[in-house]
Amino acid sequence: MPISNLTIIGETINDSVPSTKKLFDAGDIDGILELARMQDEKGAAYIDVNVGPRSAEFMAEMVCKVQAVTAKPLSIDTPDPAIAEAGLKAYDRARAGGKKPILNSISALRAEMFDLYKVCPFRPILLVSENVIDGCSKPCHTADETYQAAQQLVGNFLARCPGATNDDCIIDPGIAPIGSDSEGNIHRLVAAMERIHADPKFAGCHASVGLSNFTVMLPSKRPDGSPVKGALESAFLTKVMPLGLDMVIGSVKRNYNLLPPDHPAMVCLEDCLKQKGFDVLMRVRDFYAS
Amino acid sequence: MATPSPEREPKLESQRSSYSPVDWQGALPTVIMEGLYTLTTSPCRGERFMSDYTELYDAILAGNAKKAEQVTKAALAEKVDPSELVKKYMIPAMDEVGKRFECNEYFVPELLIAARAMKTSLEIITPLLAAAGAEPVGRVVIGTVQGDLHDIGKNLVASMLEGGGFQVIDLGVDVPPERFVEVAKEKDGTIVALSALLTTTMSMMKNVIAALEKAGLRSTTKVMIGGAPITQQYADEIGADGYSDNASAAVALARKLV
Repeated sequence: MPISNLTIIGETINDSVPSTKKLFDAGDIDGILELARMQDEKGAAYIDVNVGPRSAEFMAEMVCKVQAVTAKPLSIDTPDPAIAEAGLKAYDRARAGGKKPILNSISALRAEMFDLYKVCPFRPILLVSENVIDGCSKPCHTADETYQAAQQLVGNFLARCPGATNDDCIIDPGIAPIGSDSEGNIHRLVAAMERIHADPKFAGCHASVGLSNFTVMLPSKRPDGSPVKGALESAFLTKVMPLGLDMVIGSVKRNYNLLPPDHPAMVCLEDCLKQKGFDVLMRVRDFYAS
Repeated sequence: MATPSPEREPKLESQRSSYSPVDWQGALPTVIMEGLYTLTTSPCRGERFMSDYTELYDAILAGNAKKAEQVTKAALAEKVDPSELVKKYMIPAMDEVGKRFECNEYFVPELLIAARAMKTSLEIITPLLAAAGAEPVGRVVIGTVQGDLHDIGKNLVASMLEGGGFQVIDLGVDVPPERFVEVAKEKDGTIVALSALLTTTMSMMKNVIAALEKAGLRSTTKVMIGGAPITQQYADEIGADGYSDNASAAVALARKLV
């Protein structure tokens, strides 16, 4: 069943995608803009723009050029405050129908980026898989730590950015590749989403993940030719959308679906959630190898 | 970070034409090793070996940690030289795992499961090797650079290096340059392996290299780097000794650097 209430942030204009990096390195801006057009036509609600380590001026230039070929709002994707500021300054809100851009992403380690709200109001992707506790930065290893990071980051955003509301918040619980998840990240994520979803303080907040990360480093097809990545990603959505996930940074070509409980990918995901350690990896291997 | 990471897909590299053994210090002379293990096809099976412990090779290749442990213990009970087990079965098995990964026959789950099986056997064997005066292939201190909390790629590389017979000291994430220096200082010839996912933290790799230079360790310490935004060009720019774009290739790189 296709997913109508899922907002897709088109992921392709990203320097870390090898084919896109080649375009950037070759100065093939027309090629980059074609990616923007394609994602727009195929249903992306936002177009992500990540220029990697290139200059702030280049980000500004790309924002202008991408907006010239699409009226979809953009997701300014960088951990660098200077590059983010340049992208936000260049962003033409009117061109995007008055819609705010997304700023992808802010974590507790980069909270100073909230100050950019004065430059251009944005919807932050709040990365709650890491936190600063007692002055020490650390990854969140438990659902409780993730939930606390969400509380702190959402609270920080609303306090520092006058006019911002829960509807502007996009909580990212941090997704890890299921093929290397021997440390229970998927368990942490699902449990954290349950807690966040059940807390009325987060009412109206959105939630997103970088969905392609979930199946990275896995084969594309099973021996019978059926897909691996799209199926597992759809299984993830089927599991987590009822817990409040309503956005993904993902591929417009993937045709995400909600799966029935007996779909092999859904069975695999549910099994993984019952397993621990390396048994998760072996269950994933069984899914794609048999 | 919420950034998608299709860049972390294993990149198909040209298939290796030969099957090379890895020296464990104090091992058989290289010429004999090559005679035993230089194969043009894989995997190596019973008739290639002097003893019948191919089950150990197969167990590691299949990622069967329990079986690997059983066979290792049985072999040691029969007074088999532990260094022979490592040289003839275990490291060749991990080489084969790496080869299959590079050919897209194996994927990350198989890499990790095999590395765990290898590690299970090594944990039994390493104390015996150490008592006999043998040393690991090399010593690697690995960590994600300061300001960066991402550890998936770093953990993959650490597992594969351990499986490749290296002594690995994992400093975790958000590691300041002085910490790398402190551990590298403990032994000449250490490889420092640096990981970063963020464009804002990759420059910290240069700081680590500068700190090693300042401490007078650069000439005796090799530096290898990796991570989503990292390229060979960047490695060249900052004066790193090597760059790898996947965990399997990182082991091959580390072997070149020792």
